[in-house]
Amino acid sequence: MAVTPGDHAGEAPPASQMAPAGGAASAPGAVVPAATGAAPAATDSLPELAPGSALAEAIFVANELWSSSNTAAHGGGHAPSITHLAEFEEIGERGDDARWSSLQVVPAKADIVLDLLRVNSLWPLLSGLSCCAFEMMSSATSRNDIDRFNMFPFRASPRQADVLIVAGTLTTKMAGPLLRLWEEMPEPKWCVAMGDCTVSGGRFKRSYSVVQGIDRIMPVDVYVPGCPPRPEGLIYGMLKLQRLILERRGRWSARAVGPTVPAGR
Amino acid sequence: MAVQSPSLDDPRVLVDTPAAIVDAIPPYAPRSEREAEFYALGDGQMLLNIGPHHPATHGVLRIVLKIEGERIVDLDPVLGYLHRGVEKLAENADYHHSIAYTDPLEYVSSLFNELAPVMAFERLLDLRVPRRAEYLRVLSCELLRVSSHILFMGFMALDMGGLTPILYSFIERDEMVDMLAALTGQRMLFNYMRIGGVNGDLNHEFLSRLGDWMSRAGRQAEAISTLLNENEIFVKRTRGLGAISRGQALNLGLTGPNLRACGVPFDVRRAHPYSVYPELDFDVVTADEGDTYARYLVRVEEIKQSIRIIDQVLHEMPDGPVMARIPRRITPPPGRAWAAIESPRGQYGCYAMSDGTDQPYRFRIHDPSFVNLQALVPILPGCLIADTMAVNASLDPIMGGVDK
Repeated sequence: MAVTPGDHAGEAPPASQMAPAGGAASAPGAVVPAATGAAPAATDSLPELAPGSALAEAIFVANELWSSSNTAAHGGGHAPSITHLAEFEEIGERGDDARWSSLQVVPAKADIVLDLLRVNSLWPLLSGLSCCAFEMMSSATSRNDIDRFNMFPFRASPRQADVLIVAGTLTTKMAGPLLRLWEEMPEPKWCVAMGDCTVSGGRFKRSYSVVQGIDRIMPVDVYVPGCPPRPEGLIYGMLKLQRLILERRGRWSARAVGPTVPAGR
Repeated sequence: MAVQSPSLDDPRVLVDTPAAIVDAIPPYAPRSEREAEFYALGDGQMLLNIGPHHPATHGVLRIVLKIEGERIVDLDPVLGYLHRGVEKLAENADYHHSIAYTDPLEYVSSLFNELAPVMAFERLLDLRVPRRAEYLRVLSCELLRVSSHILFMGFMALDMGGLTPILYSFIERDEMVDMLAALTGQRMLFNYMRIGGVNGDLNHEFLSRLGDWMSRAGRQAEAISTLLNENEIFVKRTRGLGAISRGQALNLGLTGPNLRACGVPFDVRRAHPYSVYPELDFDVVTADEGDTYARYLVRVEEIKQSIRIIDQVLHEMPDGPVMARIPRRITPPPGRAWAAIESPRGQYGCYAMSDGTDQPYRFRIHDPSFVNLQALVPILPGCLIADTMAVNASLDPIMGGVDK
């Protein structure tokens, strides 16, 4: 099953931004919703799927269980043009009540079901660079046991991993191999920067050989500061990542891989 | 983005050409005779790249094996994937600050990384450390040595496919680092040693945890020993493998358990005593075989000796201050000082040069992991591919220390 990146946001990233090595799971040519801009198309139903798309069909479930006490409040009972939660948040409606009451359907797209599956079986990549790796391993062993939170097998192969936990100082010599690991991971994928060194360079920020924060070369979803963070800190960060995945705020499809310097640095 | 020159210092080059960097054959022409010889393949030979991301290379070591069938003909370890420029950073930091830079070098045994530079700086200053501080240093270091050796046992089994011992190891290691966190305030990079003493005195939580631990000290190590010592698979894979002779070990400059496993009873704590080790009673553990199994057994025995030292230290701990009275900004007189200690991996030395300012003029770190890792090249040829992991694990290199 191919789940397309960026489709939920109504826009398709240019094919050049697709990770070239992740071809096993993503088929950039096959699914292009042909949206021209970032603004979602104002149709009266869900965004149209391209014919032959591998994306799962939306499941419509009438919202008969619960309705707002004030039916005129949110959309006045008219069918909203946007039904996906992430897009709905973008137009300014916040809070659970507002979100759900104006929708005529529970947006149980198959994507959301898939998201739940992904969240409840996150496979991290076993890739320790230096010190933080020991706290990462500690979080996986008996005392902290990250398995309790559905993140169990630390996979040794990037082909089988969902999350890249960059644990330890990233040097310029290791930057290329690490990027290659990231590109080898099939989409969807997420990245956690563990430790001060990966967040900003940390205590080695002024060194000539250290990358000053891995977000200069790859997208990062969750930053876990600390030198090193305690295993509890990593687990907290991973729980945040689960929530982020459910809210579809992952950055792997939105940002290019390469030497970029974020604004404000 | 055009790439003009393939400079290894330019991160853009590595980002743009990631594939070329980790391919076994380097993208440039051979730079030395050795490189030309190694990368020229004979009949029936091939190159096998292991690392830099590999679960069994203890970090980011990369080894290029030249193999003929399943046998290793030659190998080329590629280092530098964790080079953080610590020595250069220390030149631009003051003396207190540079201790924090050396802290994450051998991250399994951080206290030793702090102790050696601190001792070198104290020799520059000609400073006497309070006796209670010396005892606290020995106490915390020996606790960490137990933790480091227990992690070694777990990782050695893990690299050879045994997944259970590492769980026992981490139970003990988490207990030790939590105990040390009560003493030092940090769980892993302690920053406990200070010039002139240590950062904090004993406290209730540390002592209660330590007393609790001492009542069952070494039990996890024994559990791992029970799993491994007479395990048929483990013994068959390690006994006689990667044997180093006594002379070869001395020529290579090996230190620590790797040297003692070859029958040389060299221990910096005995050979060049520092701190309060002359007053303590412990044995220098040696073995005669020099193979992978002997290196493992020596470390297991050293855990028991460390527990013996901790017991004595607790009984003989004197009263008094834990810090010497020194000014906050220290400016040692111009000079040079060398200090060496016995870290869990061997002789960990620091050479500091002072030019009279408050920053070290030159700060050299001699790391045992780097020296011990050299032994791979003479002992691996002739072994099987899978033995690379066992031999590498038994040498116990930590790449933070190797690359500095």
